[in-house]
Amino acid sequence: MIKYIVRRLLGAIPVLFGLSIILFAFIHLLPGDPAATILGQHARPELVDAMRHRLGLDLPLWQQYLNYVGDLLHGDLGRSFVNNRSVVDDFFVRFPGTVELTLAALAFAVGLGIPMGRWAARKPQSFSDGFITVVSLVGVSIPIFVLGLSLQYVFAVQLHILPASGRIDPRLQVPYTTNFLLIDTLLAGRPDAFVDSLRHLVLPAIALGSIPLAIITRITRASVLDVTHEDYVRTARAKGLTEKRVDGRHIMRNAWLPVVTVIGLQVGGLLAGAVITETVFAWNGVGKWVVEAIEAHDYFVIQSSILIFALIFLLVNLVVDIGYAFLNPRIRYS
Amino acid sequence: MTRIRSGAGLAIAAILFAACSGSTATPAPASQAPASAAAPSGAAPSTAPSAAAGTPKDGGSLVVAIPGDISSTDSAFIQDSNSSTVSNQVIEGLVATKPGTTGEIVPALAKSWTVSPDGLTYTFTLQDGVKFHDGTDFNADAVCYNYNRWNNFTGALASPDYSYYYAAVFGGYGKDSNLASCTATSPTEVAIVLKHPYSSFLLSQTITSFGINSPTALKALDADNPDPTKSGYNTGAKGAMVGTGPFMFKEYTANDHITVVKNPNYWNKAGVAHLDTVIFKPISDQTATLNALQSGDIQLAMNLNPTDLSTVQADTKLQAIDRGESCNLFHLGMNETHKPFDNEKIREAVAYAINKQALIDTFYGGQAKAAITWMPAGGLYAKDEALPEYNVDKAKALIAESGVPADQLTFDFWYPSNVSRPYMPDPKGIFQAISSDLEAVGFTPNPQTKPWKEGYLKEEATGKYPMWLIGWTCDWAGPDNFLDTAFFNYQGGKPSPEFAYTNDALNKTMKDAEAATDDATAKTLWEKAQDMIRADMPTVPIVNSTPPAAAAAFVKGFVGSGNLTEILNSVWLDQ
Repeated sequence: MIKYIVRRLLGAIPVLFGLSIILFAFIHLLPGDPAATILGQHARPELVDAMRHRLGLDLPLWQQYLNYVGDLLHGDLGRSFVNNRSVVDDFFVRFPGTVELTLAALAFAVGLGIPMGRWAARKPQSFSDGFITVVSLVGVSIPIFVLGLSLQYVFAVQLHILPASGRIDPRLQVPYTTNFLLIDTLLAGRPDAFVDSLRHLVLPAIALGSIPLAIITRITRASVLDVTHEDYVRTARAKGLTEKRVDGRHIMRNAWLPVVTVIGLQVGGLLAGAVITETVFAWNGVGKWVVEAIEAHDYFVIQSSILIFALIFLLVNLVVDIGYAFLNPRIRYS
Repeated sequence: MTRIRSGAGLAIAAILFAACSGSTATPAPASQAPASAAAPSGAAPSTAPSAAAGTPKDGGSLVVAIPGDISSTDSAFIQDSNSSTVSNQVIEGLVATKPGTTGEIVPALAKSWTVSPDGLTYTFTLQDGVKFHDGTDFNADAVCYNYNRWNNFTGALASPDYSYYYAAVFGGYGKDSNLASCTATSPTEVAIVLKHPYSSFLLSQTITSFGINSPTALKALDADNPDPTKSGYNTGAKGAMVGTGPFMFKEYTANDHITVVKNPNYWNKAGVAHLDTVIFKPISDQTATLNALQSGDIQLAMNLNPTDLSTVQADTKLQAIDRGESCNLFHLGMNETHKPFDNEKIREAVAYAINKQALIDTFYGGQAKAAITWMPAGGLYAKDEALPEYNVDKAKALIAESGVPADQLTFDFWYPSNVSRPYMPDPKGIFQAISSDLEAVGFTPNPQTKPWKEGYLKEEATGKYPMWLIGWTCDWAGPDNFLDTAFFNYQGGKPSPEFAYTNDALNKTMKDAEAATDDATAKTLWEKAQDMIRADMPTVPIVNSTPPAAAAAFVKGFVGSGNLTEILNSVWLDQ
């Protein structure tokens, strides 16, 4: 197992290396000049040249890339062109926000998707199955920003039952220690603030979780239906096992695998979706930060944050693969 | 993030030119004469009309949406409107603009001042008994500490991504700077001596970058670290942003919020804040901002999409805030190296062809006025140039007079994509409206577009476009900032390629105006400059807009200013 993990981790290195080249190339293909963007309207040519020199943008591209990789290997992910802050520092200030949102969205998608999928599979072609199918199709097809703004409009603007944006009511003045607000509010001994930050999580988590919810529902339904007709399920029933036991030991145990794979893959989608969700809900996370960096042509922020995202995605998939072994003893890694 | 700064470094050239042209000793400018009679109202908009309704109540917290995160907590490095909105609550300069105006200079930390006849020495008498938020005494030494600090910037600190405005106003640092000296002549009197006269000096000192910070705090947080990213004073650490203003900096969480709290010991008793706490929250999406306002998450939005105004006005729980005087100009650019715009009658015809009122009604929610000259109507020395009014017949007649045949009335007309500016909220829509106005009189504009940051700005600045949409938001509401810096400056003895507008006499007039040592001369020269521009009609001024703000109905006492320097000490909550 250890060997397998080490091999997978080593395998990630060329992937990240290749990605760094592609990212670098794409970002430098973007039209526009960070120096001119920073200086704004009427940046005089000599000021732009001086700025390009200060930012190292006057060097040949290959040299800029080598400098970047050299710094990367030393653990330096560069500095923002806009505010000169270290990309790593800023990433980890914002990352807890994204993790909190992503986990909440995942909890929403898994917590609702699996029961819905199982329920739909119980009576295929019934009304409830049709209803769930429609709900999941709608979930997949509504763009996140439309759903996000609609949720804001209905639940915050019209009904006033949930907040429209942000991670917490700033008037509560909770000190940020870990930047995981659900934890920080508890550390501060502020149950009122904990409830407030939970309330702030609801709408963005639903907006972000809608697509994974739909996919998880569909996969669970299909997977359960597949297994239901297997011989061993019929045998189990013939043995006189209770329906609960058949469901838990024989159906779900075998239906889990594709569901877990899909959940793992959804993490990538959630990180991508967070970019839009965080912007719509003014959620202080990595996604909103990346959008702002792209607008400002903040090369290092874009490159490094996407690289870190990629690394996280690879790690999550590794964890999912390892999870298989526990779910299905037939799978062994060596 | 909305950048407000300009390429105002051209002021340097102005100053140098002024030095060469020499200036004679004249009486002190009227508008810059001792102002001790005026109330210290720089940061105390207590007499504003909207504050008059009801008796202000103290207490409460206000959450304010700003369109993006702040970039610095060191006022010397601030160049964007988000950072200056926050800094203005905490840090004060020697002088300020009167709340509700853009160009009226009022005392702030200086209670009065005199200007020497040669226009070189500004002697400021300071407010007595003022302390910085950290308890440090505010005095003449503190003022000179700040001016000398800026003047001594080197390396990264002296680069345009940090102390841009110091270089823009003073022409550089150290020996290159227009600052000859700053001397504390007594604890409450400071003499700032320039090397060359600069008629917009006082107005330029009202901007955020010239705020006076506590020397103790600057030293404590290593504000002059050669790498400003390592200076806590710049990055919002605890103990940063220490000034004398009605609010004190409490905390900054990047991209999340900035909190300031009431300064109960504010030196100007009439300006002590009503609110206990103000929290600034960056929300970049304009629809999300409106939703947050409607749901009660925020109580004041500094920026509102003009097309959302009707929604706000229809909601009894909200109020739209009129900012009064504008501090920008939107105009239609024409480049004289491109035909048919080399023809003066054609440019005049374009001016008659545009229905400005229709643009104001459609795209600005009424929050704009037809421009009267090439700068904001409320700015210093703005002169009503009786610009052409919408008249299709007159436009057609001028085209006929120009002698340009109909087949040569075709040209590329550019508008930017991926942008919305306060003076140009919907570039594409505005472009379409102007295009149809032009077609109605016989022109054939070919639509062309490019993203604002990715090529548009660069290409228009280098004169590639025959006709295009462009504008300017003030750094300060002086004529130099618009007519010279932003528009019709000369670079290396030649007209800027942007408009390719050659007028040597105008250039000389503007330089003379910048070097004028008395108000009357400056006024005469700036008015003359505007007349000269009017005679040639190099571009068509369209509107001055006032970007709207919005608030919950119970938010009272907010005094809007077109230059967005609003200080929230007069705001109170009626609930």
